[in-house]
Parts: sequence; structure tokens; C-alpha cells
Amino acid sequence: MKDTRFAHLKDIPSAHLLGAGTAMCAGCGGLLAVREIHEVLGDRTVFVNAAGCMTLLSTYPFTPFSGSFLYTAMASAPAGAQGVRDALDVLARKGRLAPEDDLSVVVLTGDGSASGMGLSATSAAIDRGLDFLYVCYDNEGYGNTGQQASATTPLGARTATTERGSVASKKDLFGIWAANRPAYVATAIGSEPVDLARKVEKASKIRGPKLLLVLAPCPTGWGFESDQLVEIGRLAVKTGAWPLKEVEGGKIVHTKVPPKRAPVEEYLRAQGRFAHLFEPSRDEATLASIQQSVDAYWRTVTVG
Amino acid sequence: MSRALMTGNVAAAWGARLANVDYIPAFPITPQTEIIETLASWVDEGLVDAKLTMLESEHSMVTAAGAAAATGARVFTATSSQGLLYALEMLYAVAGWRVPFVMVNVSRGVASPITLEPDHEDILAARDSGFLQLHAATCQEVVDFVLLGYALGEDPRVRLPVLVNEDGFQLSFTREPVALPAASDIAELLGTFDPMGSALRGGNPTSQGIAVLDPSAYSYFRYEIHLASRAALAAWDEVAVSFAEITGRRYEPVEVYRADDAEVAIVAIGSFSTKLKEAVDRLRDAGQRVGLVRPLLLRPFPDAQLREALAGKKGVLVFDQNLSMGKGGVLHTEVCSALYGARGAPPIVASFIGGLGGRDLPSEEIYAMVDETLAAVQRGEAPPPRLLFTHRELTQQRRLQVIAGVERAKGGAP
Amino acid sequence: MSGAVYRVRLHGRGGQGIKTAGRVLGTALFLEGFEVQDAPRYGAERRGAPIFAFVRAARGPILERGAIQRPDLVLVADDTVVVVPAAGVLAGVTSRTVMVLCSEQPEDVWRARLAPKGPLHVLPLPLEDRGATSLRHVGMACAGAAARLLGVVSLASLRKAIETELAGVGRAAIDSSLAAAERSFVALSEHAGAAAPGEPIAASGYERPVFVELLCEPVLEATAMVHGARTSELVKTGLWRTVRPEVHAELCHKCHWICASSCPDGAISASESGVARVDYDHCKGCGVCVVACPHHAIAAVPERSTEVPK
Repeated sequence: MKDTRFAHLKDIPSAHLLGAGTAMCAGCGGLLAVREIHEVLGDRTVFVNAAGCMTLLSTYPFTPFSGSFLYTAMASAPAGAQGVRDALDVLARKGRLAPEDDLSVVVLTGDGSASGMGLSATSAAIDRGLDFLYVCYDNEGYGNTGQQASATTPLGARTATTERGSVASKKDLFGIWAANRPAYVATAIGSEPVDLARKVEKASKIRGPKLLLVLAPCPTGWGFESDQLVEIGRLAVKTGAWPLKEVEGGKIVHTKVPPKRAPVEEYLRAQGRFAHLFEPSRDEATLASIQQSVDAYWRTVTVG
Repeated sequence: MSRALMTGNVAAAWGARLANVDYIPAFPITPQTEIIETLASWVDEGLVDAKLTMLESEHSMVTAAGAAAATGARVFTATSSQGLLYALEMLYAVAGWRVPFVMVNVSRGVASPITLEPDHEDILAARDSGFLQLHAATCQEVVDFVLLGYALGEDPRVRLPVLVNEDGFQLSFTREPVALPAASDIAELLGTFDPMGSALRGGNPTSQGIAVLDPSAYSYFRYEIHLASRAALAAWDEVAVSFAEITGRRYEPVEVYRADDAEVAIVAIGSFSTKLKEAVDRLRDAGQRVGLVRPLLLRPFPDAQLREALAGKKGVLVFDQNLSMGKGGVLHTEVCSALYGARGAPPIVASFIGGLGGRDLPSEEIYAMVDETLAAVQRGEAPPPRLLFTHRELTQQRRLQVIAGVERAKGGAP
Repeated sequence: MSGAVYRVRLHGRGGQGIKTAGRVLGTALFLEGFEVQDAPRYGAERRGAPIFAFVRAARGPILERGAIQRPDLVLVADDTVVVVPAAGVLAGVTSRTVMVLCSEQPEDVWRARLAPKGPLHVLPLPLEDRGATSLRHVGMACAGAAARLLGVVSLASLRKAIETELAGVGRAAIDSSLAAAERSFVALSEHAGAAAPGEPIAASGYERPVFVELLCEPVLEATAMVHGARTSELVKTGLWRTVRPEVHAELCHKCHWICASSCPDGAISASESGVARVDYDHCKGCGVCVVACPHHAIAAVPERSTEVPK
């Protein structure tokens, strides 16, 4: 991380490119990340959106964006990005687009779309080598409709459709994307703003498909008080439940390794969606299984 | 103007080529594939200065088409049948974006059961999407309607995407002589695509395709799409005149063939209408006063022109190559709603369904339909809807059912 | 044909039990032998945003549908929504509408603010919610008040309705809900039956709508798109706030990037002196900055309505 303008938190621009006044919940972890991403990318950016919470950022006649926004549908935001990018390229080639009128093309999607009906379009955009940044805010469920289980809901989490906790494990979108060998893949979280800013900056300098999976703690869907947003994010990283990493040239690098991982219970206990693992009695088997999967992950990580 | 033999699919590709399109998002499907293959080779050879991108589905293809048009490119795309259905969500979406482009649908029946053969069930499923809809009857009309489609959809009063329908096999794989307009004339007619200030651009922030949660505002925007579609009827007259000046071919929203003095008018769309014209000629030879009234435009629906063309007729025979399950022929319903309560509206509007899944329309069946309509006129009561399906076909169907094991299945057909 | 219909509207914010209160009242009326309609209405807004629920009850079939045009009884669980125009608290209120507010402000203050033409009652905040950061029992207090003001719901039916609608949330939550509802039921004893079914909207002498013929308008105007940036700032999401972050300048170390970068809504910036400044027009009161400030210079202060709607 040498070639970065973000050495410190105060280096991150605060031009408020993303306007306030949106309909996102108080304490939205996704909004926190999108705000920062817009700041780093600047206003010559178009956000091509898939149906999800962030669709409601723009409701006529209100929009928070300083750049542009195009809502498509739940399944095909990457195809919308393809159409925009292709059109910009062909118009530039034909002399109908001034260089300063060009745009960075960003897909803005939730995990429900990214791991479900949008996965095919995402995979195909990678296949085609589309020059775009794909941002998935991952709130681990269909948040916009009241937090039903999605393929990215973690083991044990209660959702509106898994009252006793999800029996499935979280789908590894990072791994799926990385296997397609795009130009850049990374995870991030809004509560680690310098790490996030560096990754967005790095992605913006690379041509080709760049994918960013941003954990988006959701007070409404996860069951925590909104003021705990940053704390929950820190716990996700500190316990190793949310590894911060990136892939470049096929090599995975962990950008922030917790020096001594805290027990994952600390992260789970702070969220209502895992309360049934502790009360009325401890679900030792599930708790152990979650801890084991975190441990197993980190055993594969070579630090340095 | 020189003429050359070409299939409807190649004619469609010529439409895109003459329109000097910028962008072609594509996905293969029978019987459309030849269009994108043709364009792909022309792009490779430098004959078409466009970018062609293969998408992973028709849903994505229409998304990319709409997004590129919203970015200021002239876009052409094409599909068929299941592909059109798969894209249907996006048809409604991009029409609401008010982005003009042309999509050719090579019509083919829909599953289930799946078939490769033509009928109009696919295209009529897109009837209410906000796309304008033009139905070609010949390969010449395919290229002409693609070009008219750009002129109409890009008209400032309209600004809607356009579907041009050519019938699978009947047109898509059939070669006919086609006169191609001069590229320079078309360049003058269409000009360069004008995004009218709404294109996605750096330094010009817009938020598009966005949610409208206020019911009144939603009503306004939806109704404006409808009004823009209706405005295409007015725009048509000017566009068709300009087109006729170049090509000598003047198209009206409704074609009237030997119907002015007719007692019975046949109403149909698409390629079978030439066959119906032939039947009209033979019926005229036999002394019957029969004519054909063919809407070229299905959306916007040319109600006034149809009313005028059908006023005073004793009977109307609507031939539908589609079936709205639980109701019947879509065109029949549309014609009835245009006529009901109108001055001089024909008292009898008979409904016939045929040509499903590629079924032919023999001349004798056309004569019989006219006979049945005339009989209904005599009786003063419309006949029940009829599926064109003969005793011989049922006998054959029974043979197939036996092979399919129907006689072994409990409660199978006798 | 339908007979006399009771029309009740409950207002509050997401998370305050407004939807449940509507269902409790609906079930209680149903237990009393009424035909009932109950429904919550909320838009795209989120936790903390204003929502409402409505209940209709009649002895015969109810033919009305959708939102209530002329309520007989309006209950406001959270007095801070009164100033939110979009909340529509006063929509359709007439001189015969009974209004109830759950508030720490006394009745005469509200009379002065709202100048209601009809009866107005103020309920104290439920004991269960006092000092709490979020109001969880105000909805239930309103359900109890509504049951009493309608005068046709017994305490037994109210209790049974609460047991039914809250089944599964745990005994402690049911008991505290019962307590909150009963307290307001008892408090309004002397007004039992004050809310009476209103007249339906008459078909003679009605105010005629002025319809217009929409024209086909220029595409840039007639397309659902926004031409420009950040128009969302016209939306005052500060009205969602129930807790206000207050920066204590003397404690502030002027490291505003810390609190500002933690604010999902971008509602914090630096003042000229470098002290963090909160944009109260838009701050939703999530409290993230309160926790994030390493110097404890931001305090969470409960928000209570002080303004009157225009």
C-alpha cells in the first residue's frame, strides 16, 4: 500500500458527495461504505444499481448522488454497467464523447442479488473483462424486504425465514469471484475506512473487472442498537469473522490481520440475530461450529 | 434502387447497418441467430462501425441495450420467443427510461410445449410494455420498419423503444427481393442519435430509472409513457412521408386492401396477411366482396384508422395467430374494443385462431372462415371463436397419443 | 350495505409497536363481535421513520378500503411525528375526531400548539419507556386508550387480544405490554365511548374533484429521472430522530474526521473552529458518533417535539 493518498483517516476526502436525506435506516452500515466509496471515486461516476436497500437512495424527485445513478433490476445491474461502458467507449472512439465526459462505472448491489439472481450477470461481466467496479454491500440477507435468508446469510443467524437460525453456511462470493480471475477482488467494511479507501483507490487505477465485497452491518436486520454500528464492524474484523483481504494477480493478501483473534462469540453476542445461540441455553454445537470455521479459515492464511 | 434477394433476418441486419447503429448487445436464439451472426461478421469486416457485445441472457441484453441508449448510443438488438419472455421485466423497465432503440423479434411460439415454429404469442406478451410494436409482412417491410422504428422511436414527441416483429421461418429464413435504401438517404433521415441532454455523462449528474413511491407521481409517469406511445400515431404520418420521399414506399398505420367496398373484412397482422391478400383476390374472382385490413402498428393501436377502415362492413373476420389463455385471440379483443360503440361499427366480429406453432393457413380455410362469417352475418349473431383444427389433424393427434402411451395411462383419451 | 363504522388511526415510528397496536385493537374488536379491518401502512422509509396503522370496526360488513379519510379517533404514540408533514397526523381530522397523544408535555401545551377543534387527551409516557433510548410501549398504551375511548371493548378482550398478538415474544414483554395498555385503558375511564362512528362520505353535495386532461409532455420532464445532484438534502431526515447528538465544544479535540467518517448519513462536518458540527436537518440520531468519539465529547440527548406544524 505504498502508492496511496490515504495514509490516515483524515486523508479521506469529506466533500459529502453523497448527499444526506436518504431513506436508509439510521445506522446503516451499507450507507456508511457507499458514502466513502463515492468520496474516493469522485463525481464522475455512475452507480448502476440492482434492486435492494440502496435502490431507495433515489426516490423521485430526490437523489443523494453527485455522480449519476441508473437503477436497472435485481438480476442485471452488471449488464447495465456493460451497456454504459460499451456506449461510452464506442462514443469516445467515434468522437462523440469528450474525455472529461467519461464516467467510472460502478455496480451497486446487495448480497441478495449478488449471490442469487445477479450472480450470472456478474460472472459474465468478469468473463467479458468489463472495466467496472462491482460493489456488493453485504448485509447477509434480503434486507430491503425485512431480512429474509439469502445465500450469504451466515450459519446460525436468525432471519425472517430462518427463525431457528440458518443451517446453511455463508456463500463464499469472494472465492467465487476470485476463481473467475478478475483484475481485482477485495473485501472491506465501512468501520475500517482507511482500508476501504485504499482498496477503492487501488481498484480505480486498474482496468478490468474489480469486485469489492463490503460487509454492511445492519441494525434493523441483525438486531443491534444503531449506535453500535462501528463497534459491530470492529468485532467482525477483530474476531476474524470478516477477513479483510484482496487478490491481485492470483495472490491473496490479508490487509489487516487481527494480532490475536478474539473469540467469535464476542461478535455474535452483540447481535440479536444470534441471541438464540445463547438464550435460554447455549447452543454449544453451533457456537463451536462457527468458531471452528473461523479458525479453519485463518489456518489457511499465511501472514506476511 | 437495386434489389437483392435476402432473408428477413438479413434484412433486419441491413436495417441496423443502414441506421448506422453504435451498439449491438446480442444473444443467440432460434430463429433470430442469423441476425446477430450477420451483424457480427459485418462488424468484424468493418462494414458496420459498432460494438457488438455478447451478453449472457436476453434479460441482460435488454438491460445493456437500455443502458447504452441512456448513455447516448444508437442501439440495435434482436431476440425471439423464450428470449423475449426472459427479457420481459426489462422491456417494461427500459420503456419507462424513455430510451429509444430498435429490437427485432423473430416471432416463435412459446413453451410449454416448447417449439421452434412461429406464431405471435411471444410478441403479444410484450404488448403492454411501452415498446412501440410494428408487424412486418414481407422481408422488405423488415428493413423498412427497422428504419421507420428508429425515426419513430427517436422522435422528440415519442422517445420510446421499438419492437419490429418478423415471423419466424415465414420471413426469417425466406429470401425475397428487397430494395435497400441508399445509406446516405437514411443518414439524412435519421441523423446521429440525439440523447436530448439526458445521457449519462461526467459533469452532468442524472439519476435515472428511479423509484417513484408517490402514487400520483407514479400515475403521471406511467400515463406519460402511454401518451408518448399514442403520440407515435401523429409522428407516424410525418415519418412515413419522409421515408416515402426516399424510398417511394408509403406506409399507413393500417393497410387497406380491396376493403373499401367489402361486405366482410379480414383483420390480421404479420406475414400471413400476404396469403390473406391472395385469398381476397380469389374470393373477389368468385364474386365475393371481401377485403383485408392490416394494422402495421399494434402499439400504439391505430383505433381511429381501424374504425374508419371497418365502418359499414357487415362482418369482420379477425385471424389471430395467438391465444390469450382463458380469453381467446388478442387481436380480436383489440379490434372489438376499437369498434364497440363506434358509428358504423360492424355488427359481427368473428374470431378465428390459427397458425399456432407454425401451423399453415391453407387457402381453403380462409375461404371457409369467410363463409362462416357471412353465415353469422345472415344469422345476425357472432359465431363462437373457432380454432382452425381439422378432423384429419385430430386423427393424427390420436395416433401420436397412442405412441406416447396414452392408451396405457389411466383415463387416457378414448 | 354497511352500518356505522368506527375509524381509528394510530401514528408513530417504525419499531414502536404501531403495527402491533393496530392488530391488538383489531383483535379486541373482533373478540367483541365486530367485523374488522386492520392494516399498517409504511413506505420505503426505515426504522425510526413515521408509520401509521388503521383499524375499522362495524357490526356489519365493512365495504370501505385503504387509508381512512375521516378518522373518528387518532392516536399518536410518539409526539415527535406531529411535526413531520409526511406523517399526516392531522389528515382528515375534524371537530368530532378524538385525538390522543402520548407525550411528556401536558395537555394545555398541546392544546395551544395544535388548537384542536375536537377533544384531545394526553397520555403520559408509559412507565416502561421512561428513560429508555427507544419507545417500545407507546403503541400498546395507545391500543389501551383506543379500546377505552371506543367504549365497546372490555378489558378482558383487550387482554386477550394482547396475549394473542404478542404470543411468542416472551412472558416479560407480554406482561409489560399488558401493563402499559391497561394503565391507559383505566386512565381514560371517564371518556369511555367518546369516540363515536362518523358519518360516511355523502354522495350528495360532495366536493367535486377537478380532473385534468394530461398532455404528452416533453420527455425530459415526463421521465422519472432527477436532473442534478444531491436533491435528497431537501428531505429533512432529522425529523426521524428520537435522540439528538450534542457536541460539547469544550471536550471536542477537533478530530472531526473520526466522528464524521463514522456517520452513515454524512451529517457531521467541521465548523470553522474545527469543532465537530452536526447537521440536525439530516441527522437521524443513530448515535454512532456518540460511541465513536474517543473523547466522549458527544452526548445523546432525548429529542422531544417543541415545534408546531404550520
